[in-house]
Amino acid sequence: MWMLPSLILGATVLLAIPLGLYMAWIFNGRYHVPAWLRWLEQRVDTGSQDWKQYAVAMLLFNVAIFLLGFTILALQPLMPLNPDGKKMLGPTTIFNTVCSFLSNTNLQHYSGEVHLSYFSQIFFICWMQFITPSIGLCALVAIIRGLRGERDMGNFYLDLWRSVVYLFVPLAFVVAILLLAAGSPMTLEGNARITTLEPGSMGAEENGSSKPQEIARGPVAAIVAIKQLGTNGGGFFGANSCHPFENPNSYSNFLTCLSLILVPVASLVMFGRMLNQMRHAGVIFGVMLLLSTATIIWAVFFDAMQPNPGLTAHAERTYKIPDSTGGQLTVSLPEVADLPVDQSLGNLEGKELRFGTSASATWAALTTNTSNGSVNCMHDSLNPLAGLTPLAGMWLNCIWGGVGVGLINFLIYLVVGVFLAGLMVGRTPEYLGKKIEAREMKLAMLALLIHPLMILGPTGLFTALDWGAQSTNNPAAHGFSEILYEFTSASANNGSGFEGLADTYGFNDAETPAPFAKQWDIACGLVMLLSRFVPIIAPLAIAGSLAAKKLTLFTAGTMRTDTLTFGFVLLGTVLLVGALLFLPAAVLGPIAEQLGPLPFGR
Amino acid sequence: MLEHLRANVWLLVLTLILCSILYPFALLLGGQTILRHQAHGSLIDEKGNPVTDSSQARGSLLIAQPFKGDEYFQPRLSNAGSGYDATSSGATNWGAPNPLLRSRVARQLGPIVKYASNSPTKPGQRVGDDIDAWFKAQVQQDPSYVAKWARENSTIAEQWVKDNLDAVALWLNQPGEVVKGDPAKASEAFFSRFVPKHPATWPSVEDQKVIKPIQQGPDVQAFFFDSWLLANRGAMQKGTIILEKVPSDLVMSSGSGLDPDITLKNALYQVERVAGKWAEKTGRDLAKVRQEIVALLHQKAHAPLGGLVGVDLVNVLEINLALRSRLLDPRSSWRNDQATPRRDDPEGGLHP
Repeated sequence: MWMLPSLILGATVLLAIPLGLYMAWIFNGRYHVPAWLRWLEQRVDTGSQDWKQYAVAMLLFNVAIFLLGFTILALQPLMPLNPDGKKMLGPTTIFNTVCSFLSNTNLQHYSGEVHLSYFSQIFFICWMQFITPSIGLCALVAIIRGLRGERDMGNFYLDLWRSVVYLFVPLAFVVAILLLAAGSPMTLEGNARITTLEPGSMGAEENGSSKPQEIARGPVAAIVAIKQLGTNGGGFFGANSCHPFENPNSYSNFLTCLSLILVPVASLVMFGRMLNQMRHAGVIFGVMLLLSTATIIWAVFFDAMQPNPGLTAHAERTYKIPDSTGGQLTVSLPEVADLPVDQSLGNLEGKELRFGTSASATWAALTTNTSNGSVNCMHDSLNPLAGLTPLAGMWLNCIWGGVGVGLINFLIYLVVGVFLAGLMVGRTPEYLGKKIEAREMKLAMLALLIHPLMILGPTGLFTALDWGAQSTNNPAAHGFSEILYEFTSASANNGSGFEGLADTYGFNDAETPAPFAKQWDIACGLVMLLSRFVPIIAPLAIAGSLAAKKLTLFTAGTMRTDTLTFGFVLLGTVLLVGALLFLPAAVLGPIAEQLGPLPFGR
Repeated sequence: MLEHLRANVWLLVLTLILCSILYPFALLLGGQTILRHQAHGSLIDEKGNPVTDSSQARGSLLIAQPFKGDEYFQPRLSNAGSGYDATSSGATNWGAPNPLLRSRVARQLGPIVKYASNSPTKPGQRVGDDIDAWFKAQVQQDPSYVAKWARENSTIAEQWVKDNLDAVALWLNQPGEVVKGDPAKASEAFFSRFVPKHPATWPSVEDQKVIKPIQQGPDVQAFFFDSWLLANRGAMQKGTIILEKVPSDLVMSSGSGLDPDITLKNALYQVERVAGKWAEKTGRDLAKVRQEIVALLHQKAHAPLGGLVGVDLVNVLEINLALRSRLLDPRSSWRNDQATPRRDDPEGGLHP
């Protein structure tokens, strides 16, 4: 049970150390490349930038990829590589999808094999999944340079190019080849139409002949590799990494699960190396590892080691609750019997068998620790309390986190932690020898508070309106969890979902789109954009303002940030702030669900 | 500004060339030359040999294919499209509190569950007959029992209407759209009219069109298993009735709807049905056929990461192909001790 998560975490750490050192080497510009590559670098290098120029360049580039991305998707029916004749998506879905891939969220209000042509998959999905993690990584690198005291934060375009060419393309190529060997298809041929072994097992055609089984395929391996490595999560197929073509066996599952957290962990090594503060990075690593392990244990225990409580026995219960007139209302929950099902493998609804018993719970934890959001089981069908793991991971949004942005989010908690510790001992808080003052704290609070605002605000709105209430496919508290999960995922730039939610519009000429798909498309699109850029730009501003400050002397009174004590301060800050912000929502969702009644109604 | 524009254009063009042309092209090249079988979707022909041309293929090793006949092992439940639709992967997304999940599982269990071999009552027998008897007793006592059941289990009754739209619309003499538009109302209308007309029966649907009142059989056992279970909870707590537990992957649907595997336990649970059909088709001794199939299952079983992290699994398509080829191959040791197949059915009922 615990073997698989231990192997994955262990192997990741081993690989992340050399990779992180390599990343530091790249972004410090210490490498020598052939003249033609140097020439290409000069095309994109516009010279050194301060934090404002860096942020402007980043925003400009995002506008450019938004426009190009929107055009590519909107022109889908006119483009080549469309053997199965996919039509144009609904306009709001295009907007949502572009925002989603632009912000490295990769929330999918469409279903890959149903709605996208191979051209869109390769020229939009695949491309975006290389670019957007690189943008996050650039922001982190710029912030690190600021923390080093450099007012010149490097050049955004050059950093982006380095990240794509020297980091993500080579890594993805290796993973893609391994995936291909494991069984992920890589072809431009359309659907395979196969005569089933048992005639008529797929039903009959109009003319009475047996229906073939049609199997969607495509350039899967290429997209799955970068989807996993870039904390993207936008799958080729609707079922994401549950689909046997995205995740053919237990070896591919191990590889892709490791790829989920590899670059975020390596970023931490890069952080330590570039700042020359390895011990400090070690403390952050310790805190993250502790939190990550806790979420894995929680998920595995409540999902892979407990039966699905919907099938087990529950005694009759009666409650007296006050009613609206001031009197008492008696509510009784009927008794249900234990269905004779051997649930020794845990809850298997929405799970695949070939990955190993604890693989799905482990993945659910890791994919939401990071902002990846690919899934290898259906989170909607997780046991009630196990469903808390992905939610909590996204609420904190800083355990490993997305490529680049995860560590940036953690730095916000770090600044808050330093500030709180400073208040407790009565000294001006300092971080890496720079004073943290009112301006930095304001910016940090802005970055911190946008997340709960973007989750709880829209969740409240949609729950109160038909937009949310009529879109769920599960009763009561679980339905609320679906709405809460969707906005949590959008705001954390994660992209996984309680997928029962009816949020798919489909093609522009869809006959029966989900009734409130447009509202979901637009609201999630806006949430993703705001929750992407505010928490990147505010920390950039903090780093810019810290870079401009004088270095204070390191004395016996300086609070050290590389000790175990500081690790506890950090852990406390993350847990307290996270718990205070989201505990009420957790109680209304997964916890209420666990308390029953199970099943809810008949 | 012009500088930014230039850098943006260069970056867009260069990254598109690198990420969307060179990278996938290199992989396509690898896939079309070295790893051809995998690149085309792990397709196999009738003999289980890898092929790349889908017109020769009889399935993909990675994608679940539906099997209905008793002589085949059956894959896990599928919610991909209308079932095993590999162009539309997906799951139920039902959480534990969803009554539809419990009801679906109970309906699957009713017709197949048996008393355990150590049960003091009827060890090894199916519970189906007892459910039928219990149902008859209920409806004799209260002929409108089914209407009451539909009121109390309104979610399940509504789902029943959704699953049988055509039949219900035809019976109610209403257009299909009306029934589809408000299944809750249709369910109410249906049961309030059906029960007085056919008291003490359950509406069974035949050929998706005709509603036939029945008092026993798999449909009754499916819908009233959960109620029967509750009625017998006392006996079960006392231990006078013990039911055999069914492997959970037999009743829980998969995440993609295309899971190609089942657990070895699940396969062994299905062996009785499969072996029975093979024995009947080939006219051979049941015990021997069964023994051979069990041996084959153990031989074909595999576990995740070489057994490090999970339980033994069987690929359904692979095992069904193996069963078929052994029975169709005249040189197979499985056929040596056997008389010629029945004349009217030279391939033992199997169509190549």
